[in-house]
Amino acid sequence: MERKSIQRVAVFAFLAVLASANLFAQQTFSTTIYFDYSFNLTQNGYLTGTDAAKALNNKFGFRRAYFRYENKVSDTLKFRFTFDADNTANITAVDFGKASTKKDDKLRPFIKHLYLDYSGLLPTSSLKIGMIETLTFKMAEDEWGYRSVAKTLVDGYKDVTGVDIRASSADLGASLTGAIGKFVRYGAMVSSGEGYSHPEYNKFKKLSGNLRIIPAAGLSVVGYYEYEKQDDVNKAVMYKVDGYFDMVKGLTLAAEYFSYNNDKFMNADKSHYDSRGLSIFGVYKIVVDKFNIFARYDHYIPNSTKSLSNINLVIAGFDWTPVHKSWRLQPNIWYYTYADSTRKSDAYFNLTFFLSF
Amino acid sequence: MKKLNLGTLVAMAGLSLALVFTPSLLAQKKMIQVKGSDTMINLVQILAEEYMLRNPKAAIAVLGGGSGTGISALINGTCDIADTSREWKESEVNLAWEKGVTPRNFAIAVDGLSIIVNEKNPLAKLTMDQVGSIYRGEIKNWKAVGGPDKAISLYGRQSNSGTYVFLQEHVLKNKNYSTDMKEMNGNAQIIEGVKADEAAIGYVGVGYVVDKATGKPMAGLKVLNISKDEKSEAFSPMDKQAVDTRNYPIARPLYQTTKGKPSGDVAAFIQWEVGPEGQKIVEREGFYTIGGAYKQMNDKNFK
Repeated sequence: MERKSIQRVAVFAFLAVLASANLFAQQTFSTTIYFDYSFNLTQNGYLTGTDAAKALNNKFGFRRAYFRYENKVSDTLKFRFTFDADNTANITAVDFGKASTKKDDKLRPFIKHLYLDYSGLLPTSSLKIGMIETLTFKMAEDEWGYRSVAKTLVDGYKDVTGVDIRASSADLGASLTGAIGKFVRYGAMVSSGEGYSHPEYNKFKKLSGNLRIIPAAGLSVVGYYEYEKQDDVNKAVMYKVDGYFDMVKGLTLAAEYFSYNNDKFMNADKSHYDSRGLSIFGVYKIVVDKFNIFARYDHYIPNSTKSLSNINLVIAGFDWTPVHKSWRLQPNIWYYTYADSTRKSDAYFNLTFFLSF
Repeated sequence: MKKLNLGTLVAMAGLSLALVFTPSLLAQKKMIQVKGSDTMINLVQILAEEYMLRNPKAAIAVLGGGSGTGISALINGTCDIADTSREWKESEVNLAWEKGVTPRNFAIAVDGLSIIVNEKNPLAKLTMDQVGSIYRGEIKNWKAVGGPDKAISLYGRQSNSGTYVFLQEHVLKNKNYSTDMKEMNGNAQIIEGVKADEAAIGYVGVGYVVDKATGKPMAGLKVLNISKDEKSEAFSPMDKQAVDTRNYPIARPLYQTTKGKPSGDVAAFIQWEVGPEGQKIVEREGFYTIGGAYKQMNDKNFK
């Protein structure tokens, strides 16, 4: 049976479970949407964008819509189904100067999560099977809390640098996460390694794991490691270290550093290189549920042997809830500088609209 | 001089807005946010109203949603006090630790968790084991426990309810509820369901079953006596002495939890609740006042 067919059967099986769920089980539906009104403040884009992009210096841009269904079948078993639609799902061929190669650029949903979550295997544990969240940057994303403004370092690495470090927020596989007392959290996962966008095309699986140590309330250090063979010869490895500081009321400070090595990443002279990155961010809740400020500094090293490829990115903004927490305004500025002195800096202003209900 | 483009102007406007709104938001009157247990919501709303009458400068908002909702809100910093009708789960303690929250519990009242049936049900008592078996779905007919030959109709709460968890831990021995149980949103809905259904059984806080005018159970309801086991005497949750002496086996403290040691307005409000004036209201509303052990715990947690 073709892989796509197997996936379709899996989807129907899950939907069958969904349909036969007990009527009185706890079921929740939720939706989150965000989109921007963006301005290119510098319009320097002769290297960083096309002329057409440069000309289009202000625009509305839809970024994400999630529709989530969760069903708590029993106290130890639940499942989640998330539809996602983003601005690249159906318009990959679009650039600003040309028409799409498709009939239209309508936003169409795809499956992001489709999994069973069983919490009865070990005390305070969670066993997930299906299209599940990866361990790679979920904790960092939870600390950052502004996925609506910007993906975290590893998640958004490809968008900023163009280098694919094969980091996906969801993947088909199984994971076991849990806690050992107050001080230790652990996670282990085996997955296809292809993320939620592609079916598996080889026999090799991605193995990943993390360990979080919390020596004091609100102070965490996280270590993450992943390994995947790329083919019979080559492998890819990522390690990542995070630190979170939540010890002061309303304030979150965090840092994450990663290094990704793929044997297939080679310069023309056959030398290998790593891709690395560092992110430092802070969020301060000035008035809870009303007004927060946030700032972030990212340093991207897409090729460890070519320092001219390095990029710095600073993001800053605020999060304002004018009426109700289901509708938030998140104005933010992105400022890029490049190690390559021939590239001028770029600055963008986004007025991000965040809706959840 | 280089002309400012539209984007620059909008960016500047956005930052100006921030500067304008931040001071006004900071100057907002500080309102104590209380969130959590639906069993406690009526009681805490009345306590808050009475407290605000005596302290006109105080502002307190009380919301329900269940103990789990209150605990999440406390951890996320969206409330100042969590109302909880159960102990914190290990997973919640762990999450609080991650987020830098060290919870402190204050018992403000004691509840005799009441097992109720329709007033037409001739049954008068059950053992703890029988209640557990009924809610696990192992006993499906009233006849098996000395009642009429009718299929038992189960009414309960949703899993974010502290009462749901408390009964599961203390009576169902941590096993799952029957999937036949109707999961209601609140105590009032359970009461309405039991009143309308002759084969029903439900569980609610004692403050919800007492008719305040007569001191007896509300019309349409019967409150069952519960015994620890077959050999023990069965007691009513409306018997204060039985609750105080723990002869009534499913009594529980009702807590308010703060993020670390409470201070300022939050501390003053809780101090008042557990003091003589607050406890008088607790009793008036059908719950029970806190005893020596809980008072000691409160005193320790205020320090």
